[in-house]
Amino acid sequence: MERIAIIDGIRTPFCRMGTDFNDLGARELGAIVTRELLERTAIDPREIAEVIFGNVGQPADSTNIARVIALMSGIPTTIPAYTVQRNCASGIEAVIQAVMKIQVGEGNCYLAGGTESMTSIPFYLSRSMQDFLGRLAKAKTVMAKLQMWGTFRFKYLPPQIGLQLGLTDPVCGLNMGQTAEVLAKEFGITREQQDAFALASHQKAVKAREALKEEIVPVIPAPKYKTAVELDNGPRENQTMEALAKLKPVFDKRSGTITAGNSSQITDGAAALLVMSESRVKALNLPVLGYVHAYAFAGVEPHRMGIGPAHAIPKVLKKAEMKLKDIQAVEINEAFAVQVLSCLAALESPSFAKTFGYDGYTGTIDRSILNVNGGAIALGHPVGASGTRLILTMLKHMKRDNLNTGLISLCVGGGQGAAVILQR
Amino acid sequence: MSVTFRENNNIGTIEFDQEGSKVNLLTSDVIKRLDTVLDGIKTKQNLEVIVLWSKKKDVFFAGADIKEIEQITESQDGMEKARAGQKVLNKLEDLTIPTIAVIDGVALGGGCELSLACQYRLATFNDKVRIGLPEVNLGFVPGFGGTYRLPRIVGLAEGLKMILAGKPVDGSKALKIGLFDRLCPQTGLEDHLKKFISDIKSGKDKRLGKTKYARNKKKGWAGLLEGSLTGQSFIFYQTKKNVLKATKGFYPAPVKAVEVIEKNFFLNRVKGLEVEARTFGELAVTGISKNLVAVFYLSEKYKKLKLEGADGIESQPVRKCAVLGAGVMGGGIAQLLASRDIWVRLKDINYDAVAKGFQAANKIFKDGVKKRKLTKAQAMTQMAHITGTLDYSGFKTADYVIEAVVENMDIKKKVFKDLSGAASEHAILATNTSALSVTEMAKETSRPEKVIGFHFFNPVHRMPLVEVITTPMTSKETIVTTLALVKQLGKIPILVKDSCGFLVNRVLLGYVNEAGRILEECGEMEKVDRLMTDFGMPMGPFALSDEVGLDVGIKVLHILEKGINERYKPVEIFETIFKAGYLGKKSGQGFYSHGKERTPNPEINRLITGSSRRRFDPEVCRERLLYIMINEAARCLEEGVIDGADTVDTGMIFGTGFPPFRGGLLRYADTLGIDHLVSRLEKLGVELNAPRFQPAKYILDLREKRKGFFKG
Repeated sequence: MERIAIIDGIRTPFCRMGTDFNDLGARELGAIVTRELLERTAIDPREIAEVIFGNVGQPADSTNIARVIALMSGIPTTIPAYTVQRNCASGIEAVIQAVMKIQVGEGNCYLAGGTESMTSIPFYLSRSMQDFLGRLAKAKTVMAKLQMWGTFRFKYLPPQIGLQLGLTDPVCGLNMGQTAEVLAKEFGITREQQDAFALASHQKAVKAREALKEEIVPVIPAPKYKTAVELDNGPRENQTMEALAKLKPVFDKRSGTITAGNSSQITDGAAALLVMSESRVKALNLPVLGYVHAYAFAGVEPHRMGIGPAHAIPKVLKKAEMKLKDIQAVEINEAFAVQVLSCLAALESPSFAKTFGYDGYTGTIDRSILNVNGGAIALGHPVGASGTRLILTMLKHMKRDNLNTGLISLCVGGGQGAAVILQR
Repeated sequence: MSVTFRENNNIGTIEFDQEGSKVNLLTSDVIKRLDTVLDGIKTKQNLEVIVLWSKKKDVFFAGADIKEIEQITESQDGMEKARAGQKVLNKLEDLTIPTIAVIDGVALGGGCELSLACQYRLATFNDKVRIGLPEVNLGFVPGFGGTYRLPRIVGLAEGLKMILAGKPVDGSKALKIGLFDRLCPQTGLEDHLKKFISDIKSGKDKRLGKTKYARNKKKGWAGLLEGSLTGQSFIFYQTKKNVLKATKGFYPAPVKAVEVIEKNFFLNRVKGLEVEARTFGELAVTGISKNLVAVFYLSEKYKKLKLEGADGIESQPVRKCAVLGAGVMGGGIAQLLASRDIWVRLKDINYDAVAKGFQAANKIFKDGVKKRKLTKAQAMTQMAHITGTLDYSGFKTADYVIEAVVENMDIKKKVFKDLSGAASEHAILATNTSALSVTEMAKETSRPEKVIGFHFFNPVHRMPLVEVITTPMTSKETIVTTLALVKQLGKIPILVKDSCGFLVNRVLLGYVNEAGRILEECGEMEKVDRLMTDFGMPMGPFALSDEVGLDVGIKVLHILEKGINERYKPVEIFETIFKAGYLGKKSGQGFYSHGKERTPNPEINRLITGSSRRRFDPEVCRERLLYIMINEAARCLEEGVIDGADTVDTGMIFGTGFPPFRGGLLRYADTLGIDHLVSRLEKLGVELNAPRFQPAKYILDLREKRKGFFKG
């Protein structure tokens, strides 16, 4: 089968919720990376068969946000676009959609990306408030309206927070942090281990600032256009174990270990990649950043969703007929420190491999090749964009360090894992 | 035949199709023919309805024939002309069967008035549909009953607004104010017309059953306001106040138009139309009207400017532009391009500078939304057309590159050298320099035939002019594409040969420097500015300097001093004020202090040290300021920088706001008379001991040949 090339990619800086990108929506962020990618690659937009974007929040004012982004970025109106939603893996799903479409001969070139403005996820009226407003609208006369107001209760007022709803699994009833607590208890991972992992994430991210500039387009945010945001604003230069230790557990106040410090940050950002068939690359004589070699998705119990990568990784290795030792660099998205550590522990455990039939495809992941530029704990996790960012960051890292094979993986809310093997 | 009549199923159709023209004009000949047709219709008892139909694409009538109006020299003549048209339109209005004007395009001036004389106006959803009375823009009032009928159909307030602003409205607006009775799709127009006729006949639609003046009676507060004498007096009072303020006493037509409407609104048709005809006759013969007509011709001519001898050369499409320099100009240029759906890559040396450009562009978009010229969605998507960069990434896909970096030849040369490699082979490389040599820049590139000057005026989104500067190396293809781009941007181009300061800045800066000399000699900064605003300039020379920035002015003056002559050496007082840091608006203080209100900067008087104080003679000062411009423009003509006096006037009106009612700088010079001009220039030269006033050879030649810049 034809190899699938990634020509180049770009992302916005990742900015914590309510900070530099407070006034931008997911569509603006998506349009910025899409346009910039067109500018930098100098690709003729007419080459593009379709635009595919991953997005979790699905803003009400930009339904099918991929189409809105395409139109705002100068992609010809005749070129279609659609949006994909696989929670935290939406940004990977978009790329994999492109891969599959090229493989079945649908098209030769796709612009795939992910975008998320977690700042912009709205608050909802409570159902009782909604019903009340409905009744009020039906009341025709002034008297009837007054009467209706008489039925109003203050308990209707408190809104539902969209972000909180989105981060809660409706099937198991736990929110994402609570699922992480489940893993902490199951694998016996301590608060200190988690905090140490979080600290390392910040330290690596701070150290990688210059290197990461390569994949970032500085953004001058509307509406004031005051100055350019050139860097991720999540990484903390003076993060310490002491400071991390002071934080209170968020999800299990008494016996929990998950804090805001050892979880991923809630962040706004977008990323985009130009995906093309190798034959088209050759015809156009374009430089290639890397290739998508294999991908896999796996399902796990929703209340243990963080363990997803431990299943997706052996699955993708098996598919690619590769061993863990063939992999020169690994990115596992840091939704929670404990969740990454749990995955590492599971992969190291022979009984885990035996139970699930992963024999030969698991093992120890060398910590020195894992998340070398920091992860979502420092950089942040704009859910729809993270998957695309992992691929981008990995490919740029492989290019810098002249590596041949890299693997990225992430856990997915609802109980899934995704993994992709990249090559140069 | 331009007017024909046909009949089918008792429906009479008057068809307009002017021979050998893309548009219909309501000429005296057409009116005469219409008269004959109407006489014929009167004799036909079987007809049930009359339809007025244009066979031109996108045009009902483009207006009256301006050439005919231009030739009117006696007000009696003008009055007769108006009366003749009114008489025929009355005849149309007095037909006892329904009359319908079918409007599938522009209906302006006389065309609008023709449709107003009908009982009904049926228009299409065609984007080209525009209806209005733009006469006041040409210095006269509508003469075929427009002032009488329009306010009666659309209401007093809307009618006044349309006539005084002279701005046509589109179909949906016309429907809203009751000017159109229905809008229908362009496809199947004949069927929609049939349906409209049957709706009129059936009487089901009560609205259509009423007479045209009764059809749109307003309800509620608006009805009360427009229906009562008090309300009407209030509307007239407010309108007059606003018109006087807007015209500053320079443009009599809008003022007269209110007067006419105020009179004929309360008169019967015979008397009301008489008032209109008289005023039309009076205004049509004024110099101001003749000048405004001349300026109208100029703008029409230059908007469509084509390069001579370039037939068959196609312009290249411009989809994406790269702009270098994100300052006030760069940001403005980026905004203009983005607003015309052109993608922009905006480059500067750091992101703070790029951000400034974004701010400048965004401000214009935001103002557009505030003024409802744009929707929020349009502003958002257009703003998204601009991306910033510090390197040359994205330049390879640009069709056109415009450089607007600082006015420094060394930097410009480096930019052009870089562009040879950074830009695509097919891209045109343009400079927005205001005075530097385009030729020198062109020589730095590998493709000088692609290099051209593209000189915008500040503020870019408001000033209509672009000076297109050509070097001997510039190819015809480059010029053709550039002219097409200027047109695409909705601007007016003039072609100028590459020479120091080109046309507009060369002329204008001589004037500003002269103002500086007067300031040195006599003080009286405000009086100098007032002299020029009283003449009709949008602002005086010192206020202008504050807008542009004295630093920029001095820089360009030095360039002109080096490139042309020492007469451009910035006057001492400019250098002093510059050193004191009073640059203008950008530094908060210039010749004026720019706080909440503009007040003269008291420091300026203290900085004037000139010992030989001259008495301020307003008449002489005015002459000095205007004649130095005329003399310089003549030198430009002499040197062949531009091809004719038309180009000078176009440049000055649309680039500097030289008052249109004066007809243009050189048309104004002609009204002074060449003999007078020469003798005054010579006298000023002697009195001030100033060779700059030595009459240009071009002017002396004109005197020799007993010609004017335009006359003879």
